[in-house]
Amino acid sequence: MKKFTTVLKFELKEYLGNKTFMILTVLLAALGAILLFLPRFVDMSGFTGVTVMEKETSGDEEKAEEEKDLFLYLDQSAIVREEVLEAVFPEVKWQKAADEAEVIAAVESQEAEAGFVVTGPGSYEYYVFNKTMADHNTAGFDQAMKAFYRMDTCEKNGWDLEEIAAMYDIPVTVTENVLNKDSESNYWYCYFLVILVFMLIVYYGQMIAVSVTNEKSNRAIEVLVTSTSPNSLLFGKVIAGAIAGVFQMGVVLGAVLIAYQMNREQWGGMLDMLLHIPGEVLLAFAFFGLGGYLFYAFLYGAMGALVSKTEDISKSVSGLMMVIMIVYFFSLLQLTNIDGEIIRVLSFLPVSSYSTMFARIAMGTVAPWEIILSFLILAVSTGAAGILGAKIYRMGTLRYGNPIKITTALKSLKKSE
Amino acid sequence: MRLEVKDIRKSFGEKEVLHGVNFQVVSGKALGLLGRNGAGKTTTIRILMDVFHADKGEILLDGRKFNPAKHQIGYLPEERGLYPKRTVMDQMIYLATLRGMKTAEAKGSAAKWLERLEVSEYADRKLETLSKGNQQKVQLAATLVCNPEIVILDEPFSGLDPVNSQILKDVVNELIADNRLVIFSSHQMSYVEEFCDNIAIIDHGQVVLAGELKEIKREYGRNRLILATQDDSLEALAEKTEKEWGELVSISGRKKEFLILELREGTDRKDFMERLVRSDVEVEKFGSYEPSLNDIFVSKVGEEG
Repeated sequence: MKKFTTVLKFELKEYLGNKTFMILTVLLAALGAILLFLPRFVDMSGFTGVTVMEKETSGDEEKAEEEKDLFLYLDQSAIVREEVLEAVFPEVKWQKAADEAEVIAAVESQEAEAGFVVTGPGSYEYYVFNKTMADHNTAGFDQAMKAFYRMDTCEKNGWDLEEIAAMYDIPVTVTENVLNKDSESNYWYCYFLVILVFMLIVYYGQMIAVSVTNEKSNRAIEVLVTSTSPNSLLFGKVIAGAIAGVFQMGVVLGAVLIAYQMNREQWGGMLDMLLHIPGEVLLAFAFFGLGGYLFYAFLYGAMGALVSKTEDISKSVSGLMMVIMIVYFFSLLQLTNIDGEIIRVLSFLPVSSYSTMFARIAMGTVAPWEIILSFLILAVSTGAAGILGAKIYRMGTLRYGNPIKITTALKSLKKSE
Repeated sequence: MRLEVKDIRKSFGEKEVLHGVNFQVVSGKALGLLGRNGAGKTTTIRILMDVFHADKGEILLDGRKFNPAKHQIGYLPEERGLYPKRTVMDQMIYLATLRGMKTAEAKGSAAKWLERLEVSEYADRKLETLSKGNQQKVQLAATLVCNPEIVILDEPFSGLDPVNSQILKDVVNELIADNRLVIFSSHQMSYVEEFCDNIAIIDHGQVVLAGELKEIKREYGRNRLILATQDDSLEALAEKTEKEWGELVSISGRKKEFLILELREGTDRKDFMERLVRSDVEVEKFGSYEPSLNDIFVSKVGEEG
C-alpha cells in the first residue's frame, strides 16, 4: 500500500507538474467561464432573448427615428392602413407615393429601401434595389395585407374584429404535474453527461496507455519491476491518471457550472437543459460515470503494457475502442426508449452501465435494488479489471519487440495459472 | 552473506531457456556472470530479482530461501532507463522511496551518490538534458541510492569514457571492499578480471564453467605452452610442430606472436624441451601459457556459435 501511494504521488506529480496540462486546464476553464459571462457585458438579446443592456437616452431614440429606413407604398385598392404597417414594421418610416413611377424612382435612386404597390385586396408588387439574403419584407407585408383584408371585411359586414379574434385565439393554460421523471427536460443533461464520460474515457484512457508504454519504451520499467510489485505500479499509474482526468474535467466543468449559475438570469435559462443539472443526477454520474471510467482506465493500462512503442498503442487499444464506441452509440440511441428492455440489460453490464444506468436513474423508472446491483457489478468488475490489468502488465512489461495480441496475452496468463 | 543459485530452470512457452543454472557468490567477492547474448544471464538475474518465477530450483541466502523483497538490492539493468522528462533528484528519491527509504533519508542518500559519481550539479536538471555518460552515472547512482546489500551490475561500463570508467571502477572496488555482495555481468572481460574473484559462464541456458577465476586460469594453463621462433612464420612453425613434434604436442591455438601448444597425455614439459633443443629452430618465446579470461570464454562458448 505504501508503495502504491509512492507510485501514485510520483505519477500525479507527472500530470500536475506538467505545464501544458495545467495551462490547458486553466485555459479551458477560463474560456468556458468567459463565454458564460458574455451576456453581462455584450448585448446578446438576439441570441438569448434577454435584454440586459440599458437603452440609451430619449435623444438617441429621436435620432434612431431619423435613421429609420424609408419604405414607399401606393394603395390602388384603398385597403392599406398605415398604423398596421407601423406595427408590423416598427423600424421603418412609411411614406405614401402618388403613383407607381414615384415608387420605382425612389427605390432606383436608393432614396427608399423598398416600395410596395397594392394592386388588389390580395395582391401587391414589391420593389427593391438589391434583394439581400436577409430580406424578409414580403413576409411582413403578407401579414399586413391579411390584417387589411380582415379589417376591411369586418367593417363592410359590421362584424367586431376583436370578438372574432378572441374566438379564434382562446388562450389555453396548462399546469404540468410530473410525478416521477421529466424525461424531456432530463434528456439533454443525460446526453451531455454521456458524451462527457465518453470523452473522459477515450482521452484520458489513451493518456494512461501512453504513460504505461512510455515506461517500456524508455526502459524505466526494468528498474521499476525490480523495486515494487506490478500491482502497485499499475494501480498507482492508472489511479493517478484517473485522478488527473477527473481533476481537469472537474475544474473545467465546475467553472462552467458556477459561471452559468451566476449568469443564468442573463441567459434567460436557455442553457438549463444542459447546465442546470440536478444534484441526484450529478450523484449518479459521480458513481457510475467515474466507476466506468476507472474500469476502462485499467483496461487501457493493460493494453499499454502489450506494446513497446507509443505508435503501436492505437493498434493495441482498437478492440477496446470498438466496445466503447458501440456502447456510446447504443446509449445515446436508447435514451429515447429509457424504460426499454435493451437499456435495462445494458444497465447491468459493466461495459455499459456507466452511461445506461445513470441515464435510467435520471430519466426512467428504476428500483433501488437495480441501482445497488448494477453498481456492485461495476465495482467488482473494476476490481477484476485492475487485477487482470496488473497480470497482463506483469506479463507484458518485460517483453519488448512486436506488440502482443490480447488473445495471446490471455492464453499465456491461463497457461501460467 | 552467501547467495546460492541452485538448479534454476525456466521455460517461456514450450521452450526451456534455463536448464539448471547453478552458481554461488559471497559478500566481499564479486562474481562475474558471463555469457554470450541470449545465453540466459538476464533471465537468471530477473529470476533472482523475482521478476520472473523459476519453474524449478531454488535461490538461498545463507542457507535460507531468498526473498528479494526483504533485502535492499541495487540493480543496474543492461537496458538503461529512467524518466527523461523528470529531474534527476526527483527520480532518485522516487526509486529510493519505492525501495523502502523515507523521503528525507532518500534525499540524503541521493545527494551522497550524485556527489560520489560527480554528477551532483545535475540534480535539478531533467535527465534528457544530460550527456549519455552522465545519464549512465545517474543510472548507477539510482542503483546505489538505497544503499543495497546486494548489487547487480549488468554492463556497467558501456558508454563511459576512460575518466568516468575510472570513477566507476573506484566505486565498484569500494562496494566490494565494503563487503557487499556484487554480481557483475559484462562482455568486457578486462573489467571482470579486474573485479571478480569468481566467475560463472552461462551458455545456452546452463552454466558451462564456474569457480574461482585464479583456479580456472591455472587449470586452463596446465599442460599448455607458448612457442615462437625467430626465423619461422607462425604457419611454418605450426607445420613444423605437427610434423616433427606431433607425438608430443598438439596445437590448441594461435595468437598474433606465438602458438599455443598442448602437451599430449604421458608427455611432460621436459621431454618437449629436450626435443626443441635438439632441433635446428632458434626459440624466441617459450614458456607456460597463462590464458586470459577472454581466451577461456571463447574456448568455452565460442565454438558453438
